[in-house]
Parts: sequence; C-alpha cells; structure tokens
Amino acid sequence: MTVTRLFTDIFTITEFELRKIWHDSSQVFIRAVQPVLWLLVFGEVFSKTRVLPTGDYSYLQFLTPGILAQSVIFVAIFYGFNMVMDRDMGLLHKLLSTPIPRYSIILGKTLSAGVRSIIQALVVFILALLIQVHLILTPVSIIGVLLIITLTGMCFSGFSIFLASLFKTRERMMGIGQAIIMPLFFASSAIYPIDIMPVWLKVLARINPLSYIVEAMRSLLVSGDYHRIGLDFGIIILATAVMIILASTSFSRIIR
Amino acid sequence: MSVIEVEGLVKRFGQFTAVGGISFQVEQGEIFGLLGPNGAGKTTTIRCLLTLIPPTAGTAKIAGFDVFKHQQQVREVSGYVPQDVSVDGDLTGYENLLFYAKLFRIPGVVRKERIKDVIRFMELTDKANELARNYSGGMMRRLEIAQVLINRPRILFLDEPSIGLDPAAKRVVWDYINRLRNEFGATILLTTHDMNEADQLCDHIAIMNGGKIAVTGSPSELKAGLGGDIITIVSSDSNCRQVLEQLGYRLMPRSQDSACDLVVDDGERKIPEIIDKLRSHGIGTLSVSLKVGTLDDVFLKYAGKRIGEGDLTFRTTRAVRRTARRHG
Ligand SMILES: Nc1ncnc2c1ncn2[C@@H]1O[C@H](COP(=O)(O)OP(=O)(O)OP(=O)(O)O)[C@@H](O)[C@H]1O
Ligand SMILES: [Mg+2]
Repeated sequence: MTVTRLFTDIFTITEFELRKIWHDSSQVFIRAVQPVLWLLVFGEVFSKTRVLPTGDYSYLQFLTPGILAQSVIFVAIFYGFNMVMDRDMGLLHKLLSTPIPRYSIILGKTLSAGVRSIIQALVVFILALLIQVHLILTPVSIIGVLLIITLTGMCFSGFSIFLASLFKTRERMMGIGQAIIMPLFFASSAIYPIDIMPVWLKVLARINPLSYIVEAMRSLLVSGDYHRIGLDFGIIILATAVMIILASTSFSRIIR
Repeated sequence: MSVIEVEGLVKRFGQFTAVGGISFQVEQGEIFGLLGPNGAGKTTTIRCLLTLIPPTAGTAKIAGFDVFKHQQQVREVSGYVPQDVSVDGDLTGYENLLFYAKLFRIPGVVRKERIKDVIRFMELTDKANELARNYSGGMMRRLEIAQVLINRPRILFLDEPSIGLDPAAKRVVWDYINRLRNEFGATILLTTHDMNEADQLCDHIAIMNGGKIAVTGSPSELKAGLGGDIITIVSSDSNCRQVLEQLGYRLMPRSQDSACDLVVDDGERKIPEIIDKLRSHGIGTLSVSLKVGTLDDVFLKYAGKRIGEGDLTFRTTRAVRRTARRHG
C-alpha cells in the first residue's frame, strides 16, 4: 500500500514536469545548442588534427559519450535553480503544504530530470549518427546507455537541488550552475583520456562521478569492453543515492 | 470547539523576531482575519501553522493536531493558498487541478467529478484548457483556490486572497470565500491589510503589528470599542493638537499626516463647539470631517499608526511588487 503510494506520488510529480515539455518543447532545442557545437566544432577539428591519443578509436567516437553526458548535466544542473524560482513564487510552499512526503517530491523531480535527459540526449545521439560517428548499437548497449543517462540526470539534479538548499537565491544558483559545469566537465574523462592528465587532475577525475558515467557509456557504445562496467555502475548508483538522500533531507530549507 | 489554537507562538529569523508570542483561537466554521500592515508577521504565522517552517517557541494545534508532532495530519486537513502566485503557468488550468487531485490522492473514480465540481464552483469552465500563464489575475486567484478545494479541506489558509485584484474581482473572491464557509462548512483563516475586506468577510479579526497581536474581536465589537464618532481636524497651526488635549478631548494616536482625530459622542453637534473653542485659542481650521468609526480607526487606535504606513522592508516591498506584477 505505502509502496504503491510512493510510486504514484513520484510518477505524479514526474508526469507533470514532463507535461511542461509537451506544452513548450523549445527549451529542448535551446539546451541542445551547446552540446551540438561541441560535437560539431570541437569534435570535428580535434578528430582531424589527431592531437589526442584515443587509441583504436576516432576522436569523435571517443567524444560522443562525453557530450551525451554533458547534455544531461546541462539539464540537471538547473533543477536547483528551478526550485528556487518555484520558491520565489508560491508554488513550492503550496506543494510542501500537501501531505506528500519530501523524499517523494525529490524522487519525482529527479526522475523527471532523468527522463528529460533522455530526450535531451536523443538530440545529441541523432546528430552523432548523422555525422556518421561509428557507435555500437545493440539492445544491450542502448538500454544500458538509457539507464546511465537517467541515473546521471537524477544524480546531478539531486546535487543541484541540494545546492539550492544551501545557496537559496536565483542569482547565486545561476552563478553556481555556470561555475560548476565546466570544471566538472574538464576534470573528467569526457573530452580527453585520463592517462594524459597531470597528476592532480587525474586525482580529481578519479573522484568525479562524471568520469565513471562517461567510461560506462564508452564501454557500451564504443569499445564493447565490459570489464569495468560493474564498477562504473556501482559508483553511479552510489553517487545517485547519496545525492537524492542529501537533497531530500535538506531541500525544505529552501523556504526557511 | 476551537479548530485552530495558537498559544504563545514565536518565530525568529536569526536575531530578528518576526512573530513575537501570539495567541488566538478560531472556532469551527468561522472566518478569521489576521489584519496587519506589511511585515506584521501574518505570512510567517500562517507558515508556522502549516508546518512549513518550524516555530521557535509556543504551541499550535490545527484540528487538534500539534504542528510539531503531527505534521502529516495537519497537512492532510489543511488547504493553503499562498500570497504569491502558486499555479504553474506552464500547465493548463485543468492540469493544475489534476496535479493537485493526484497529490491529494483523490481516488481515480471520483477524480474527474471532483475536478469538474471545483471548475464549476470557481467558474473556470471557459478557460480550463488554456495555459494558466494566460489567465487574468482574478482567474489565477480562483484557480489557486480551486486547487486546494479539490481536497475538501476542513481548514483553509488564505494569505491575502484578494491582493492585486481590482474591486470587482475582489468582490467575486469574497463571494467565493463566503460560499466556501456556507456550503463546505470550512473554517477559514485569512490575512489581509484591507480593512474593508476584513469588515466584509470576517467573523473575528486579530489586529497584528510588529509580530504582536494588538487586539482581537468581531469587527462590530472593535468599532464599538472606539467609543463614538470620529472628527478629523486639519489645521495649519502646529499647536492644534496640544490645545485640543488641554481642552480635554479624547485624541487618537498621532498618524503621520498633520490631522487630529477626536473621538466624541454625537459628533454632528460637537463640530461647531470645537471650532469655536479652537478659534478662541487663535487656531484656525483648514478642514473638518466626521465619520462613524471604521476598522481603520480601530487599527490606528491599537497600532498607533494608520494601516499602509507599515515599514516597507526590502523583502516585503519586493514581495508586494512581485505579486502586483504577476497579477497585474
Ligand atoms: N525567511 C525569512 N528570513 C528572514 N526574515 C524573514 C523571513 N521571512 C520573513 N521575514 C521577515 O519577517 C517579517 C514578517 O514577514 P511576513 O512575511 O510574515 O509579513 P506579512 O505580515 O506577511 O507582510 P506582507 O503584508 O508584506 O505580506 C518581515 O520583516 C520579513 O522581512
Ligand atoms: Mg504576507
């Protein structure tokens, strides 16, 4: 009984978050601009110059999972900002005055970030196929990647909501969103192999969940080598769980 | 039976005391108004009662449930319409209602019926399938109220229900609030800084100022408590107030304008007498007016200023403007 209630609560929140995209899909395309530029400009140029050692694979093959992850993070990291906007209006207060538990609200919101991320990633995916990046497309790899994208969306939207409970204003959240994305991205294996990094950056990249996310997608889509995928998934699930717990326990502070 | 019982409620934000120990009761089926200027602590009080923020001290019970110990039950019996806009502009009116029907866990079989009911009750049928961001201020307010009605709450908290509405739209909202009480038997706690609204709607009011309740009572009791009519005298002479005091008249506390408000019995007959006496002291008058006491005067008497002269902090000013912009 309580479990079905938990799931209906979560799906309700998710459903209505997604209905908003249905009414206005333009933001899907706006948010796609930056990843698309990365792939088209950065990817194409570095592919031709071959300055980065990516082994048996072309640089574009190497980069595509990184850009998929990036497009997901662009969606997720603004969830905290949206939460602050809802607080500045009365929406969040009204939502919190209903009997639905705090953690259901967070699970619902983060899950919707996960689903939104899939839509967002599809744009990048389709583009990658159009410019003929060679990717492994089997049922296993596709389902695996969708799962990773969903978890990534949940993980980073949870992180963002947690930050919102600390920083509380739109201006700060806007700044933080921008301040976080690039370092997160550069201190990971998203755009260059970890092997060529200086030691301090290697250390950062090793503790950055984004590295494991990208690594797992690379195994599935590019190399087909699954020997570390168990570890990758373990870390992704752990990071997601931690972020959701942090967000659930702290987020009602946004209204204090 | 008291549906809302508040005893010594205190809320501090850091060093700042927003609510400084207030107590009041609201009876079953009553419309109770918290009346006060900007920054009086009305919204903070409501948020404490709804378990949205934890009170610093004191106790409060909603339908017998303690706001510290039984948060879940408090939320189940309450409906809340915040001061700021609380409908999602990116969803249609119908979706906004469906969302809350699901959040309140209204069973699927009765959900459609309930939504239809509140749409009809709040007269939103025409625009139910339009995005809420295209609604007018009055419709938005009605949709906001409709959202919480879906749950048939026993207790409704309406934070400035008519803020930013024009007089006609205000009357419409008042009508609904009255019908809510009469047809649903709901107990309603509302806040306002509109004296007229409190007078028209509320069975009891508490006048709040600077985080404290100055006085409670029914509007007619409070007006009767003024003890007579009010004569307002404007004079260019700064001694006017002093002279009137020396002559033994009862004066209301000084408001910011230069007018002197006198409380007298049988005002019409007193006017010539007062003017004569002032003249004999060499004080001329610019204008004299008489009115029977209003809640505005009650407020002046207990809070020492006219409503609307509240200290506008950055925060409250921003909130008021924001609301006005959204609604206007
Ligand atoms: N989260 C907060 N942190 C710090 N101060 C706060 C907070 N919320 C409210 N206050 C302060 O508490 C005081 C009371 O605010 P409150 O919103 O309860 O007033 P109000 O009576 O609802 O006023 P208004 O008519 O403008 O809505 C104000 O001075 C406000 O600045
Ligand atoms: Mg208020």
